[in-house]
Amino acid sequence: MKKLLLASAAAALIGVLAPHAAMAQATVKPGSAVDMVLLPKFLGIAVFDQAHNGAEEAAKELKNSKKLQYLGPTPENSVAGQIEIVTNAATQGVGAIMISNNSGDQIVPAAKAAHAKGIKVVTWDSPIPSAEGEDVFVAQVDFAETGKVMADMALSILGAEGGSFAVLSASPDAANQNAWIAAMQTALKEPKYAKLKLAGIVYGNDQSETSYNQALALVDKYKDLKLIMAPTTVGIVSAAKAMQDENLCGKIKVSGLGLPSEMLAYTKNGCAPQFALWSFVDLGYLSYYTAYALATGAIKAEAGQSFKAGRMGTYTITKDPTRKEGLRILMGPFSKYDINNVEAAAK
Amino acid sequence: MTLPPFLRRWETLLLAMLVLIAGANMAATPFYLGVGNIVNLFQLEIEKIIVALMMTLIIINGEIDLSVASVMGLAACVAAYLFHAGWPMPVALLAALASGALAGAINGFWTAYVGLPSLAVTLAGLIGYRGIARILVEDRAYGGFPDWFNALGQQPQFGPLTVSIVIFVVMFAIMAVVLHRSILGRLVYVMGNNLQAARYSGVRVKRVKLLLFIASGAIAALAGLLYAARLGSVRGDMAVGFELDIITIVLLGGVSIFGGSGNLLGVGLSILVILNLRNGMGLADITGNTQTSVIGALLILSVLLPNMAQAVHTKWKGRET
Repeated sequence: MKKLLLASAAAALIGVLAPHAAMAQATVKPGSAVDMVLLPKFLGIAVFDQAHNGAEEAAKELKNSKKLQYLGPTPENSVAGQIEIVTNAATQGVGAIMISNNSGDQIVPAAKAAHAKGIKVVTWDSPIPSAEGEDVFVAQVDFAETGKVMADMALSILGAEGGSFAVLSASPDAANQNAWIAAMQTALKEPKYAKLKLAGIVYGNDQSETSYNQALALVDKYKDLKLIMAPTTVGIVSAAKAMQDENLCGKIKVSGLGLPSEMLAYTKNGCAPQFALWSFVDLGYLSYYTAYALATGAIKAEAGQSFKAGRMGTYTITKDPTRKEGLRILMGPFSKYDINNVEAAAK
Repeated sequence: MTLPPFLRRWETLLLAMLVLIAGANMAATPFYLGVGNIVNLFQLEIEKIIVALMMTLIIINGEIDLSVASVMGLAACVAAYLFHAGWPMPVALLAALASGALAGAINGFWTAYVGLPSLAVTLAGLIGYRGIARILVEDRAYGGFPDWFNALGQQPQFGPLTVSIVIFVVMFAIMAVVLHRSILGRLVYVMGNNLQAARYSGVRVKRVKLLLFIASGAIAALAGLLYAARLGSVRGDMAVGFELDIITIVLLGGVSIFGGSGNLLGVGLSILVILNLRNGMGLADITGNTQTSVIGALLILSVLLPNMAQAVHTKWKGRET
């Protein structure tokens, strides 16, 4: 009897240990032939092209003999187009699809159908909200960190004496931006940011002209404004241009999330001394490694699975704390840009 | 029902195009001929082609309905809104269909009884009905519909076919009979050819027009609900911009934008041409702007060719006399 107990205890122990054994870092073996599709929200956007470059870099390193397909819909046909591409990829029986989801849960039936055919579904940049039909989400940065990075940049630009600043966001209902602004407001409660005063939030709907006008409206509305913080690549460029055009850069600075190539001139002329963004090249690179590792069976879509993603180092799949269901790989960190590194990054 | 010879030739041209495209698809990809793919080929555009059938009647009648895509979105949003407000799904669906018919009735009233051009009336509808849809659901996505509803749009119910595909086939048959074998169909053509003449010969033109717009709204609503079932969730921007694809299909089918001519066979062939072309390009990994440009070029040709043919024809005739 005792023996039996011992044996079962040992078996239980092995049962506990076994997953740990599997958790050891997996090796991603190059050289497999896997058909893979990289699907952006839509074509013709600089950051998605950068992600494509990163994915191509990973494809070369992993010596995948199958060409990476970079397929996307047009902006006006984003939802139906994404569904069509996922459905056709399922028909073709590709190995993996990497989706920057612009269709909310409307992509779910198509993603589930692809998944049911054994296709690995990796999301990047923007996940499937319900996580149905998705293996894992490669997240660019943590939402809370975004808020803190913005608060830090505001502090560094406004200095110890602080001052009044305003936020120029995308649309009032943009989930990403709202979460980042909320995180920033939480961060601002810390004593070291006590002298920073958030005057107001306006929305430019990620359209250049609207954002430009909203930035100028902010100047009129808040006479003591010293900084415009724009957590959107469209907003930050428009705000910087507005301040430059009105010769206001000496008085009001611009910061936020921006693309080095678009911000180069404004960082050089002092309108936007500091801004941040994650690298979309890295995001594409890591997404490709993740999808390839899943498709070749090197890792499974389970929390705790860990693998080495080439030059970027080791990543581990965890439960996604930002959604009810779903798994995530957190890329991070932010890259901060200023006069010292913006030129190199803009190339 | 005899047709002018150049129209007959138009259908032949579409058929030739279809054979060519199908041949190219077969040569290009082994996945094309699978049953699953053929079903997907229809499924991916099924809502648009259902609406295109009714649009054929509207355009032949000399009118246009630009509001169909907004009505699709409106119906989906009404159903989602009511369902989440606690209504049973079947009742919510009926209310959504009714909202579509009502939207159509409003279009029809202003067009037929007040006499405003349908282009302007339904353009206002395009904006207004979309506005109501967006107010109803705001910027949320409504999901969590009953399984039977999602199954309508996502799972094969009749052999490999989905409910949507069966509805399309049945509706095609009904429309063909109505347009080409019924008195109503003849009135649609007569009014499209010469509204004044129709009016003076005692046709109740207002009533016919109103009826057509109500049917257009109700069918667009049905298509919107099928779209919601296929996607499993509803947003305010559902089906935005679909009206252009729908009108494209009808015009490529040889229906004159000025009304009075065209037939359902042409539209059926046009549907097959566009769907097979899209599917083939999709499977050949051609997407985005390239796909849009190819279909755009096809439409330009389809509008230019018949007109050029007619112009040449007229000139030739002029020289003879």
